[in-house]
Amino acid sequence: MKKGLISVLSSVISILIGLLFGLILLIIVNPAQAFPKFGEMLTAGFSSAPKFAKVLYQAAPLIMTGLAVAFAFKTGLFNIGASGQYTVGAFCALACAIIFQMPWWICLIASAIAGAFWGFFPGLFKSLFNVNEVITSIMFNWIGMMAVNLLCMNLLNKDGKNVMLPPAWVSSPIKDRTAALSYANPKAMIPKMGLDKLLNSNFMNISIFIAIVIAVIMWVILNRTTFGYELKACGFNKNASIYAGINAKRNIVLSMVISGALAGLGGGIYYLAGTAEYTIQKLLLPMGFNGISVALLATSNPVGTIFSALFISYIQVGGESLQPVFAKEMIDIIIAVIIYLSAFALLTKTIISRYIRLDKSNVNAEPAPAAPLKTDDKPTSKESEGAKA
Amino acid sequence: MNGLNVWTVVADIISSTIVFAVPLLLVAMGGMFSERSGIINIALEGIMIIGALMGCLMMRWLDPLVVNGQLGSQLAMLIATLFAGVCGIAFSVLLAFASINLKADQTIGGTALNMLAPALAIVLTWVVQGQGQTTILIPTWSRITEANFGLTLEKGSFIQALFFKNFYLTTILTIILFAAAVILMYKTRFGLRLRSCGEHPQAAASVGINVFKMRYAGVLISGFLGGIGGLAFTLAAGSGFQSSVAGYGFLALAVMIFGNWKPWSILGASLFFALFKVVGAYATTLQKLGTVFNALFGWPDKIGIKEGISSYLWPMLPYIITMILLVLTSKKSRAPKAEGIPYDKGMR
Amino acid sequence: MSEYVIEMLNITKEFPGIKANDNITLQLKHGEVHALLGENGAGKSTLMSVLFGLYQPEAGVIKKDGVEVKINNPNDANALHIGMVHQHFKLVEIFTVLDNIILGAEPNKMGFLKKAEARKKVLELSEKYGLQVDPDAKIEDISVGMQQRVEILKMLYRDNDILIFDEPTAVLTPQEIDELMEIMRNFTREGKSILFITHKLNEIMAVADRCTVLRKGKYMGTVDIKNTTKEELSRMMVGRDVKFEVDKAPQKLGDVVLDVQNVTVPSKLHSNNAVKDVSFQVRAGEIVCLAGIEGNGQTQFVYALTGLDKMSHGKITMLGHDITKAKIRERSKLGMSHIPEDRHKHGLVLDFTLEQNLVLQRYWQPQFQKAGFIKNAEVRKYAERLIKENDIRSGQGPITVARSMSGGNQQKAIVAREIDKNPELLVAVQPTRGLDVGAIEGVHKQLVAQRDAGKAVLLVSLELEEVMSVPDRILVMYEGEIVGEFNPKETTVQELGLYMAGAKNMYRDVEKKGGAEA
Repeated sequence: MKKGLISVLSSVISILIGLLFGLILLIIVNPAQAFPKFGEMLTAGFSSAPKFAKVLYQAAPLIMTGLAVAFAFKTGLFNIGASGQYTVGAFCALACAIIFQMPWWICLIASAIAGAFWGFFPGLFKSLFNVNEVITSIMFNWIGMMAVNLLCMNLLNKDGKNVMLPPAWVSSPIKDRTAALSYANPKAMIPKMGLDKLLNSNFMNISIFIAIVIAVIMWVILNRTTFGYELKACGFNKNASIYAGINAKRNIVLSMVISGALAGLGGGIYYLAGTAEYTIQKLLLPMGFNGISVALLATSNPVGTIFSALFISYIQVGGESLQPVFAKEMIDIIIAVIIYLSAFALLTKTIISRYIRLDKSNVNAEPAPAAPLKTDDKPTSKESEGAKA
Repeated sequence: MNGLNVWTVVADIISSTIVFAVPLLLVAMGGMFSERSGIINIALEGIMIIGALMGCLMMRWLDPLVVNGQLGSQLAMLIATLFAGVCGIAFSVLLAFASINLKADQTIGGTALNMLAPALAIVLTWVVQGQGQTTILIPTWSRITEANFGLTLEKGSFIQALFFKNFYLTTILTIILFAAAVILMYKTRFGLRLRSCGEHPQAAASVGINVFKMRYAGVLISGFLGGIGGLAFTLAAGSGFQSSVAGYGFLALAVMIFGNWKPWSILGASLFFALFKVVGAYATTLQKLGTVFNALFGWPDKIGIKEGISSYLWPMLPYIITMILLVLTSKKSRAPKAEGIPYDKGMR
Repeated sequence: MSEYVIEMLNITKEFPGIKANDNITLQLKHGEVHALLGENGAGKSTLMSVLFGLYQPEAGVIKKDGVEVKINNPNDANALHIGMVHQHFKLVEIFTVLDNIILGAEPNKMGFLKKAEARKKVLELSEKYGLQVDPDAKIEDISVGMQQRVEILKMLYRDNDILIFDEPTAVLTPQEIDELMEIMRNFTREGKSILFITHKLNEIMAVADRCTVLRKGKYMGTVDIKNTTKEELSRMMVGRDVKFEVDKAPQKLGDVVLDVQNVTVPSKLHSNNAVKDVSFQVRAGEIVCLAGIEGNGQTQFVYALTGLDKMSHGKITMLGHDITKAKIRERSKLGMSHIPEDRHKHGLVLDFTLEQNLVLQRYWQPQFQKAGFIKNAEVRKYAERLIKENDIRSGQGPITVARSMSGGNQQKAIVAREIDKNPELLVAVQPTRGLDVGAIEGVHKQLVAQRDAGKAVLLVSLELEEVMSVPDRILVMYEGEIVGEFNPKETTVQELGLYMAGAKNMYRDVEKKGGAEA
């Protein structure tokens, strides 16, 4: 597990530098309040049971979007479209709950299917036309968000009342968010199983456990099955996987579909808690983008996403305690810095292993050239042409 | 006819198309410089946000001087625009450093910057304007009007609507910058060297070209153009700066791909996309246009889309069109061969 | 003036864990052709990188005309009038010939290109040395031979008088090679000095004045070509006597294993077909070699044969099954093994471990998986056996990441994997590329063992020595067509060369002469 240790260390270093950067920024903006608020931010998540419940509550969808991004990474794809898939998943879960009055688990399945559907297109375009999945999934983020807005606002029942919005259920003037599940369909809420009482928070339900179980399943799929072997072969070297008789095109689509399903499920999990309503958005939901942070911090390891999601959720809960002295977006800055640093994780790792000297057994092998994250059909190794030593 | 002049609407659409094409063109050209030097610049969205933020802040700071008549309004605009560009450069250094010096994954580095920029913008807006003030307003003097030329035109006339309804200094600058970019790319030593670095950096290095330097140049130019493009977008959108450019950086990337990394094609693609954006943004105007067409050609009312839905549907259009076009043109698309691959001296 | 134009004295260059150059001396005289001989991995490329300032040596000095110089980058080398034709051309494919020649030394006024001036100079040079090029053609549209002329013109354009040719003949036909030798002699007559890097002994004997030999990073000596023999040079290069022949048992031909009929493959680059109407058979117990200069459709043919790419026309039958449209996995199940041309592109997943790579073609078989779950213990056991049997060396055995292995051992792993499948048909494309002499002998033995065991082998090779010694039958491919069939015992390199260059075509000539020639 030497490699694992180095990965964890490099993530920890990224986190520490990110936090330090945040602190410096706080000091620049407001020196007097910087240190107390920073301390508050760091401890808020553990300061009370309800706060901790909120960390877990937010971590669950984060694990899902993180898994979505990590899973696609393993197949050499960058699913920056998790936000759209998450939004579409959330909508379908809510539609099933509010319009069709389905129980929670069917709503969750619906969210996964919707997310999968939204991930399918970028995957299909990539595999058939080799259109860059980053651009397509960004486009699908916006299309998804606007489509959800459109549907939320325009699905009418017989009486001409909007079915997704509160007016159909109670007399309410609110027109920019969906109806609360607690009166629209309580059985669509994810069971709490007494956890809400345990942590004294309405936010708490079993979703964090659902997310953890799915993360473990994803780890098993990637590391123990032939399907995972094929996906990874495809991601590392598409040409070699084709040569080995693997259907690379199908795998690209499948990988995006699964990735989309995971993100969609995240949307379902979050909104079926019944504590937040979907609000008509003007901008893309950040949960999908935070999934990128989660995946990168976890170096795309599915089990690692559990921990990195908990961390991100923890400092986000902490971020709320920065208000009103500082904007809570301070946290986003810290997270962005952390990702920026993890972009050159490879370099960090090399430096770490140079200091730790863990790789003693490898003295006979030739020096391994630094490899970019994705191995395309472009030459990445010195071996063929250079360094003939 | 509802008292609507067809020609005014046409003039309106043309001038709005141009004003929205300007940021797309600038930013897509920025992307072109970066990618033809070999660096994928997905951070354009973030660069735009930083450029827009700093440009708007500069306008805010200069506002009293302009209002008091101590500074010409368009001179102030020039200062704000250049400031936006310079800040774009400063921000793009982060991408250049990560992807050129540290050989980081360019897509991830760019994504980090895209997340950093809006957060930074919100925090800075708070700091400058006070708690919870998330919108930076744009002063009215930013627009070039007929008054700047000492003309008096009837408001709503064809000429007025065509030239002076959406006329900003950035439009003029863009025309100059576009011409300069074409010449720089194809007629100079710099352009030849830059392009060689994006195609075959080892070949460039073997004839003594400093690949690092050229790639830095490519990214920094994209920072400059992206920064100005961000400000141009905010001006075009008209409702002030709210720490977002609504995915325009990514649209610009799509425009660049659709324009096949070539300036003239990018120009065409920008105008094309802007037209659709205008169709979306001016949904109500279009509704009126529909009425006009109805009146003119006797189209049945059924073709018109219900007002409630259309205001959601139209904004989707540029994104959907982008998708379709990317798929349709994917066969002909030819990206710079070495883009995205960190240049390693040892790798020959 | 010093006798030597360039001297590299006692150069040592180390990489982590490896001495790529260990105290190497190379002295180039004015107006001579000096060969630098060594196997793959002997340190030739590293030495040249030092000369070009791409690497800084840990020890040693470089002198120009007897004066010590410091070379920090290719610009310094250029200033000393040193130029090089790289083995893998350093040309920008979408640029024109002219742009490629002037790149880095552009005539300009205030940064604006002066192309008319450049064009004039290029045309003059092209005339003077008989190096025909079209200055406005794009590199991607011209032949490999012309690309090499562009590379030579690049040096001449910069007024270089120390010219280095790195393995320049690999991409040329025997006749083109003769022309190149003549051009080299022309240059030396003008007083230019030439450093000629190669591992081909015949060419050294033909053109060089002196030869410096490297082996495993060490300096073996410099000899006058007049006073040496091919055998002595090869002993210096390899360290022992080398047999140029391959032992083979008498042939026992069996049934037809592979039947290729009228296969045509469209080209990805242009509207022409890359493979045109190719038909032949391979039978059990024989090695058939597809020979030819690089880029004459062999790669595309193999892609179509193995299922990596589609063909537009024709039929392929293997062991009586029509596999024209079969998927790669189906071909593999029928008993086709494929040692690919490019081991990094196709052969290996470099970021997988060695054991994961060894089961790349078999992970789906019941031996290695149950209900979709991989049996890790079985994979480990299998990998350990292959590693032991084939002497695949790596840092950490089965769990070594393939990327960290040496090229030779990577190739051994691929060969082991493909042969252990016990194929009926082995398609081996340049299986010895980049290997040292010992490893080459090993691969040749394995190919012959397959043949002797009654299997069919299709070898695709660019190396004339390999073409002459390994197969039972040679098919020459030129511009996508098969232009001749030979028995290696009854033909000569010169004859093959004429066919490889397209100067002769057995089948067209037959038509002309009304079937008189057989």
